[in-house]
Amino acid sequence: MVDDQRFQTFLELSEAITGFGRVRLLGTGQAELYFATAERVVGHAIMDELLTAFADLPTRTPELLRLHLFGNEMLGDVVRNLVKLWFGGVWYQLPAIWQQAYGPAAEDGTFIPSPDAYVEGLMWVAIGAHPAGAKAPGFASWAVAPQIPLS
Amino acid sequence: MTATSHDVVIVGGGVAGSLIAKRLSHAGLKVLMLEAGPESTRSFADYNAHLDRFYAASAKGAESPWPPAVGAPQPDGGDIGTGKGYFVQRGPNQYGSTYTRTLGGSTLHWLGVSLRMLPEDFELQTRCGVGLDWPIGYSTLSPYYDQAEHEMGVSADVAQQQYHGLSFTPGYDYPMRHIPQSYSDRVLAAAVDGTRIALGDTSVAVRVRPYPAARNSIPRHSYQPRGAIDLDRRGNPYLLTIGERCEGNTACTPICPVQAKYHAGKTLVEADWRHLELRTRAVASRVLVDPASGEVQGIRYQRYERPDAPNFVEQTATGRYYVLAAHAVENARLLLASDLPGRSGLVGRHLMDHPALYAWGRSPLAVGPFRGPQSSSGIEEFRAGAFRAQHAAFRFDIGNDGWRATTGAPDTTVAQAVLQQGLIGQSLRHRLREQLGNQVRFSLAVEQLADATNRVSIDPAYRDAFGNPRPVIDYRITDYTLAGMAAALQVARQIFARAGITDCTGQDELSFPTVNYQGRNFAYHGMGHFAGTHLMGADPRQSVVDSHQRSWDHRNLYLAGAGSFPSMGTSNPTLTLAALALRIADDLIAQFPNAAGAAAQCGGL
Ligand SMILES: Cc1cc2nc3c(=O)[nH]c(=O)nc-3n(C[C@H](O)[C@H](O)[C@H](O)COP(=O)(O)OP(=O)(O)OC[C@H]3O[C@@H](n4cnc5c(N)ncnc54)[C@H](O)[C@@H]3O)c2cc1C
Ligand code: SF4
Repeated sequence: MVDDQRFQTFLELSEAITGFGRVRLLGTGQAELYFATAERVVGHAIMDELLTAFADLPTRTPELLRLHLFGNEMLGDVVRNLVKLWFGGVWYQLPAIWQQAYGPAAEDGTFIPSPDAYVEGLMWVAIGAHPAGAKAPGFASWAVAPQIPLS
Repeated sequence: MTATSHDVVIVGGGVAGSLIAKRLSHAGLKVLMLEAGPESTRSFADYNAHLDRFYAASAKGAESPWPPAVGAPQPDGGDIGTGKGYFVQRGPNQYGSTYTRTLGGSTLHWLGVSLRMLPEDFELQTRCGVGLDWPIGYSTLSPYYDQAEHEMGVSADVAQQQYHGLSFTPGYDYPMRHIPQSYSDRVLAAAVDGTRIALGDTSVAVRVRPYPAARNSIPRHSYQPRGAIDLDRRGNPYLLTIGERCEGNTACTPICPVQAKYHAGKTLVEADWRHLELRTRAVASRVLVDPASGEVQGIRYQRYERPDAPNFVEQTATGRYYVLAAHAVENARLLLASDLPGRSGLVGRHLMDHPALYAWGRSPLAVGPFRGPQSSSGIEEFRAGAFRAQHAAFRFDIGNDGWRATTGAPDTTVAQAVLQQGLIGQSLRHRLREQLGNQVRFSLAVEQLADATNRVSIDPAYRDAFGNPRPVIDYRITDYTLAGMAAALQVARQIFARAGITDCTGQDELSFPTVNYQGRNFAYHGMGHFAGTHLMGADPRQSVVDSHQRSWDHRNLYLAGAGSFPSMGTSNPTLTLAALALRIADDLIAQFPNAAGAAAQCGGL
């Protein structure tokens, strides 16, 4: 596992923006891939800015995250994409306006980083379901109310 | 020219072709099966490569796991309304359905709903003065339904299926118990079971009822469920134990990961391979006929090596009898491409589907969607009744996958919450639970009658990569069906109201073709229920095949599949076409007095 500081910060950022803990995030097996994917698309420099902006927050409240990350012209689109990537397993093409201002990001586009990314989407966990076509919960499990995990 | 001749040549390795091949091979007849698609569904590893393809697809439509070969193109949901794709759509309405041209056919991506047709569906003209009667009735088909349900592995309880005059052989029950109803079904049932819903000037008590499904459940008696298939090291097919029970993958369409849902490959595994030869990557391109006798003399086909290349060599297969089981559209297209429109001129005409509407809303209680088979119950009360003299019958499929089909949830829900509402972290998770947890969706499938102007034809101007003419489709949804759609929506609204469900129909809708009726636009979709392109009848002047699906014009040729249906009622067609296919097999075996006989050796009963 990559245990350099940048990756650790990426993980902490991911915890803050998804509301899921690190055990769940690492358990997807996708954390390193997502880090690498995002960095490949937006470049090392912008990723650094994002990680630094996050690390510099005095506290990691939703208000401060909104103000300094989601509300930032350059970082906002990137961090929103990270939320969608964690929840849905899809990297969505960045807005054209972002490309004009901060591009070119040659590897940008809408794509699934790996077939497992789809399977590991956190939106399914969030609602006590499972991705269509994978992680089947077993015969007749659908006949009772779902169990929605807390962590 | 290949030198060997077979007793029977079958074109198409879908459910119809496979059931016939299995039964004939067990009777000792020498069978050749020509299949247009590649054989990439025979081994477990290859099948799983299709699954990975589905995971990796950013658009997860019904065809996403099943890409066609260059020489065997197929319609794609994404092409509807764009003017692009395999079908040449001449309108006025878009034909909204698709099929799969890979070994196993459209059962690779079907949903598995396996309803019998109602006795009254076979006599629609006589009883209601609309549509066409069948030359055979429910009682003729009933024993074949029993057999088809065992061949395909259908889960249901007879006790829950005796409605609208459906009767069963005494002592009969389905091979497996019904698929458990979903939590969402049960919440709805608690709210509406037994309430009377108005339709015209009558009212009917409705019930949320499990429908028969070709998905493995708990077996009855000694029935052995068939799971996934594989090839051993010598290339012999066999059944694995995985998939002997549905696991709730919520992906029957487009691909069941564990193969707990029936697909035609399971039937082929059980054929007697000493007598069956399978030739895949073989696209039938012409039926060769003796002009004097009308008898078929051979099937010309295009054999290719690589699915991704437009190269092929031409060969001819010969036998004593021939069966076209290439799908309703492909059967008609192949006959027309062979200059065989039939003396009746009806080949390709009377194309039908079940154009369907969605109705969706929010339940007052959480229903736990996105789990279980995509649906497990239906509302069947409106499949029959005197109203059929005025408008189409319809049935409801009650979804277990939220608004996925209608709005693209849950992905679109995440996107909205993040982009529009700016939610993150716990508040995002909370929002998703709230937004997704109470989603309810009905699919309202509406009957369509046989209409000679709705048809598949060919035009030399439109050809595929192998030079074969592409299907040209003329399609109109008439007032009979449109009035049925209006009635179905009204019923859905009443049920929503009774259950306290907030109607959200039309909101954030994905793009669907629309049709206008009395100033209203209905967004509809196809169900994949192609039927009627080689009509069955008692009169050779008004039909293409007789009641055994034997061609009136070519007596050594059978046309299998829903193309033979004079009407479809509200049943999804596959179980009925399977029952009819088994009847073809018996009729064929009877043409060979020395054959071993069918019933003793196969049928699974
Ligand atoms: C999304 C979807 C969901 C569905 N759900 C249901 C359901 O729940 N219940 C139900 O009853 N029905 C359902 N259907 C319909 C069902 O899939 C079809 O009715 C059924 O598969 C038709 O069987 P068939 O054997 O006639 O044709 P197919 O299954 O299409 O098989 C035809 C075979 O012939 C081959 N072939 C085609 N052309 C040639 C050629 N020129 N030469 C050689 N071989 C050829 C094809 O490759 C294919 O293998 C659904 C369809 C769709 C699209
Ligand atoms: S619900 Fe899942 S396991 Fe069951 S048949 Fe459908 S796809 Fe297969």
